[in-house]
Amino acid sequence: MAKNIGKYGALLATIMAVAPFCAAQAQDAIKIGFVGGFTGYLAPYDQPTLQGIELAVEQINKAGGIDGKQIELISRDMRSDTAQAAVTAQEVVDQGVQVMIAPCDVDPAVATGQITQAAQIPTIAACASTPILPGMVGDYMFANYTADNLQATALADYALEQGYKNALVLLSRDTPYTEMLPRYFATVFEKKGGTVAATLEFKMGQQDFSAEVTKIKELSPAPDVVMTAAYEPDFPAFIRQLRSAGITAPVLGSDGIDSPTTLELGEVAEGVVFSNAGYPTPGSALEKFNADFKAHFGEEPSAIFTATGYDVIKVVEAAVKATGGNLEGPALRDAIDNLENVAVATGSITYKGMNRVPLRVVALNKVQGGQKVHVANVTPNGADVPPAQ
Amino acid sequence: MEYFLQQGLNALALGGTYALLGLGLAVVFSVLGLINFAHGELMTLTGYGIFYTLLMGVPYPLALLAGVLIAALAAVLMERIAFRPVRNASPTTMLLTSFAVSTILHILFQNLISARPKAIPVPDAIIGAVSVGSMQIGIIQLLSIAITAVSLLGLTLFLKKSLLGIAMRAAAEDFNVARLMGVNANMVISTAFAISGILAGIAGVLWLFQRGSVDPMMGFLPVLKAFIAVVLGGLGSLTGAVIGGFILGIIEVSLRAYLPDGMLAYRDAISLTLVILVLFFLPQGIVPRRESVR
Repeated sequence: MAKNIGKYGALLATIMAVAPFCAAQAQDAIKIGFVGGFTGYLAPYDQPTLQGIELAVEQINKAGGIDGKQIELISRDMRSDTAQAAVTAQEVVDQGVQVMIAPCDVDPAVATGQITQAAQIPTIAACASTPILPGMVGDYMFANYTADNLQATALADYALEQGYKNALVLLSRDTPYTEMLPRYFATVFEKKGGTVAATLEFKMGQQDFSAEVTKIKELSPAPDVVMTAAYEPDFPAFIRQLRSAGITAPVLGSDGIDSPTTLELGEVAEGVVFSNAGYPTPGSALEKFNADFKAHFGEEPSAIFTATGYDVIKVVEAAVKATGGNLEGPALRDAIDNLENVAVATGSITYKGMNRVPLRVVALNKVQGGQKVHVANVTPNGADVPPAQ
Repeated sequence: MEYFLQQGLNALALGGTYALLGLGLAVVFSVLGLINFAHGELMTLTGYGIFYTLLMGVPYPLALLAGVLIAALAAVLMERIAFRPVRNASPTTMLLTSFAVSTILHILFQNLISARPKAIPVPDAIIGAVSVGSMQIGIIQLLSIAITAVSLLGLTLFLKKSLLGIAMRAAAEDFNVARLMGVNANMVISTAFAISGILAGIAGVLWLFQRGSVDPMMGFLPVLKAFIAVVLGGLGSLTGAVIGGFILGIIEVSLRAYLPDGMLAYRDAISLTLVILVLFFLPQGIVPRRESVR
């Protein structure tokens, strides 16, 4: 018994010793919340995002914080459930966060944003790419990731540069990403003189693309290029069956296929060109980020979402510096809205004049011999980018 | 005509995979009255089994075999650990247990392996196509059809010729009477799970050939399709599960092939409506389970 009292006594002493320190830190700390889907269907996106965020927070804190203020990260799992996202967001808001990071899909991001919009807390969706997201929520909601219409414009420009005239578009209405990205592509492609031979639809997870491939084969004239925003497991199944049927038209994809699986596909994926948020060219910030990531976690980054997660914290850092340490919601919101050329892991981010959807670099990559090869970094002309819908 | 033949072949290949999956569910249902919703996770386990054995440098065919065996072993363990303790509880309890097993395995895959997909290479030899006349037939499709045929034949022989198989059929008809005849209940149920594991493993391999990667959610959709196939064919009937699988495959492919573009978005709704229509006229499914009059 006496032993136990000793134990509890020690615990109490520790609490008493630590408590004042905690309180002092809380005053100086910048509290950033992250409501993410660390389990469930969003885990492949939100888990890597969290890693990038953690790395950025640790680097900044080690270097003395933002203007002397340490960052305190409060991350909570909302289990990839939209209703749960709202509940979790409220919990995190109740802990007094000054900035919120929203999940990687548009629906839970909206649910999170509705809570933070009412509480006037600037919120950044780490990798939701639907360009209408900030407009749907309100003036405290910002996007971070390469928007679908931006990516589609880069791909359409590339297709026209290659001399492709007649495109086949494969989309799925299951998500805004798989539906709208190909539609934005078609809009730009047609506006600049190309034609869309046919628009085919698939159901995500259908695995079997034989019916669609047979339809493509029947098309006359055969399309010069096939464009889709399908990703795993649909994309590998689609391209295998496409090539099996003897269709050799080049295939354009989006960042959903930026995955080791695509590179493992072998012969069938040879020559596939896809866009993503950045390529680690020698000497680039992304190359340095990847090295830092490996040093910290002991493994290569599993996805670009690690880097874009890191970017969010760099944006917050730039905004806090711009307000001179003022953490009030309206001041931070205005600061983010006016950021220009913030240096981040994937290059640079500009919010000024962009309606809270950032202007970023789009990298074009090609699959060659099982490797991802850099084609170009492009920043589409803002006037070409189709309006968000 | 050629378009029709090509699409017919497509339907056969897809239906075959559904048939294998449906059969896996039906084998367990016939002896235990349980729809095992963790069946899809057995496919996922096959995928991870192949991924890790390949990583260890095991030759490709052996890795596939290992993947299937892992699914069979996991199915038996699943029964021993999760379902046996609740065997005499209500069917609802067992159903909820299967959801629990499924969810637990999802979370374990996500947190212990990776939430991101793991790539599984598929040899170039089986990616190509053979030309028959002016038709192109994918080798993976031919493999699907052939493997389905062989599996169905093997299972039929096992059920008709082997003592254990006969015991299983007896148990499927009336478990209590079969037990009175000296059939060992644990043995029969374990075997049913092992068979369902092997079928899930084989279907998993065919699925992986198409998708080229394994991720924690991989088994979710297939088990749903298998469930539809089983209900369509007649719950508890093995023949019914196979027929249901093929019919579902045919419905899906023909809708995708022949619906006008504007209607394509509704094809799942239409295919499920067709399934309901069949059940409206045949409420016990296409091949109702034989029930003796009591």
